[in-house]
Amino acid sequence: MMNNKNEPDLTVNIGKIELKNPVMTASGTFGYAEEFEPLIDLNRLGAIIVKGLSLHPEKGNPPPRIVETPCGMLNAIGLENIGIDQFQKEKLPFLKSISTPIIVNIFGKSIEGYADLAGRIDGVEEISGIEVNISCPNISAGGMAFGIDPQTAYDVVQAVRDRTTKLLIVKLSPNVTDIVKIAKKVEEAGADALSLINTITGMAVDVETRTPKLANVTGGLSGPAIRPVALRMVWQVVRNVAIPVVGVGGIITANDALEFLITGARAVQVGTANFINPRATMDIIGGITDFLKKRNIEKVTDIIGTLKVSTSQ
Amino acid sequence: MILENAKVLWNKKLGPSYYKVGLQCWNSHLDVVPGQFVMIRIPGQMDPLLRRPFSIHQTLIDNGVVKGLEVLYQVVGKGTARLSKVKRNDLVDILGPLGKGFMIPRSARMVFVVAGGIGIAPLFYLISNLEKTRHDMHRPVVFLGGRSKRDILCLEELSKKGLNIHVTTDDGTYGKMGLVTDLLEKRLEKQLPDMICACGPSAMLKKVAVLSEKYNTRCQISLETTMACGMGACLGCAVKIGNGKEKYAHACVDGPVFDLDRFRL
Repeated sequence: MMNNKNEPDLTVNIGKIELKNPVMTASGTFGYAEEFEPLIDLNRLGAIIVKGLSLHPEKGNPPPRIVETPCGMLNAIGLENIGIDQFQKEKLPFLKSISTPIIVNIFGKSIEGYADLAGRIDGVEEISGIEVNISCPNISAGGMAFGIDPQTAYDVVQAVRDRTTKLLIVKLSPNVTDIVKIAKKVEEAGADALSLINTITGMAVDVETRTPKLANVTGGLSGPAIRPVALRMVWQVVRNVAIPVVGVGGIITANDALEFLITGARAVQVGTANFINPRATMDIIGGITDFLKKRNIEKVTDIIGTLKVSTSQ
Repeated sequence: MILENAKVLWNKKLGPSYYKVGLQCWNSHLDVVPGQFVMIRIPGQMDPLLRRPFSIHQTLIDNGVVKGLEVLYQVVGKGTARLSKVKRNDLVDILGPLGKGFMIPRSARMVFVVAGGIGIAPLFYLISNLEKTRHDMHRPVVFLGGRSKRDILCLEELSKKGLNIHVTTDDGTYGKMGLVTDLLEKRLEKQLPDMICACGPSAMLKKVAVLSEKYNTRCQISLETTMACGMGACLGCAVKIGNGKEKYAHACVDGPVFDLDRFRL
């Protein structure tokens, strides 16, 4: 029985790093963290995953880049980012001041591009890990193209693994026939953890003008609309790999996060919720704590992967 | 910047699709620059999912500090339709003030204000603010345009201020029939202001841009775009800027008010 005075232990391990709780921010939904500093205590987060970075700056897609859809949104930002050099110069000094582990999401246009970027980051002490994006649906070269073929995914991850000893998370695309196949190949290539899912490719049309609502025509669907799909894929993957899985997709409340943890995700990422409620991560951490306290559960790890599935069916 | 559930003081209908909602904030006072905006959401719903951006129309002052604000809005979709249903004492989740507002140089003595329809929303606050803080300036000349009489907003309040107001409607139901930019040009032929401040439909803003270039007058415009976060995180509110090489700025943090010389319409 837990001492009532004690707070439950929320720490989880992902690869070689320990997180003070399982709540991370999803790449591309939290800027470079400084944007949220006036509103939340960044030191309370489990990990911060910053906006996807490339070797060189990217200007992104033309507008309109976002459109709301039922219980979700489509985005086609096109991975606009300031590039690794400017990131190190302008954003990293602030991130250094936070005690939360910083994970950098990266993407490239070729396998060598991914590897070079990983090599650059490997030498940066303040960065705890790398999340490899092989699943962005919104750029023509690279991105998702690397994440839909098991062998290509393997090659990218292996090339990155060769260049870094840091925590290596690989973010998987849901836009595939069999996510388990990709997950196993990525594990084999040396990933320390998997995060899933990235957005689901979608589209919306303005019937008055008969034009797509996004300039890019298609975009990535996120928000509560995709949560059941994300949860199903996490369920499929956790039973087939040994490395930790980080659940992502439409997590808005603590209850949503708990669904993923119970299903077997070691940690979660909060994405679109940051746009709606900039304090969503804080509310989720608080809600998980309350859930455990109420049930006298000492450690969050005691609920991870405890999904009860009837075997008679 | 505040993020809290504000209490609805009033939500008044002003004709077929326009409303004014007064919001009282609890925790902190607000520090607002005219042209800044707030992101509003009705708590506890997933559809519509995202907050909606609204420029600040007026601040509500209590004992010398800003304790609330008023938003003037037009019902155009799901989010504004839902907002139009809120009642006195309901709670509305607000985040703000956000973005960059109008920056009227110290040296400026005369401003022309050009509003198309709901575009008066942030400009009314600019006018009130200049009236209060810039006694060194002449009174602004106001140009109000709309499709029809019902789209001419704030006329009574502006008239009370004793301003020089020029009104046009597309259908001639009020003021002069035609475009507000035609009256603006007539005036520019006679008098050049130090700054034009404009907000309205993109066709109007394009014309204002042409005129500001033709008459070599500085101009600031307030832009409306779709937004998700309002804080520079999602990068969804990109707008093209600069000449030549294509570049994007973000309306939420770089704007919504832009100096026209860095902006390409």
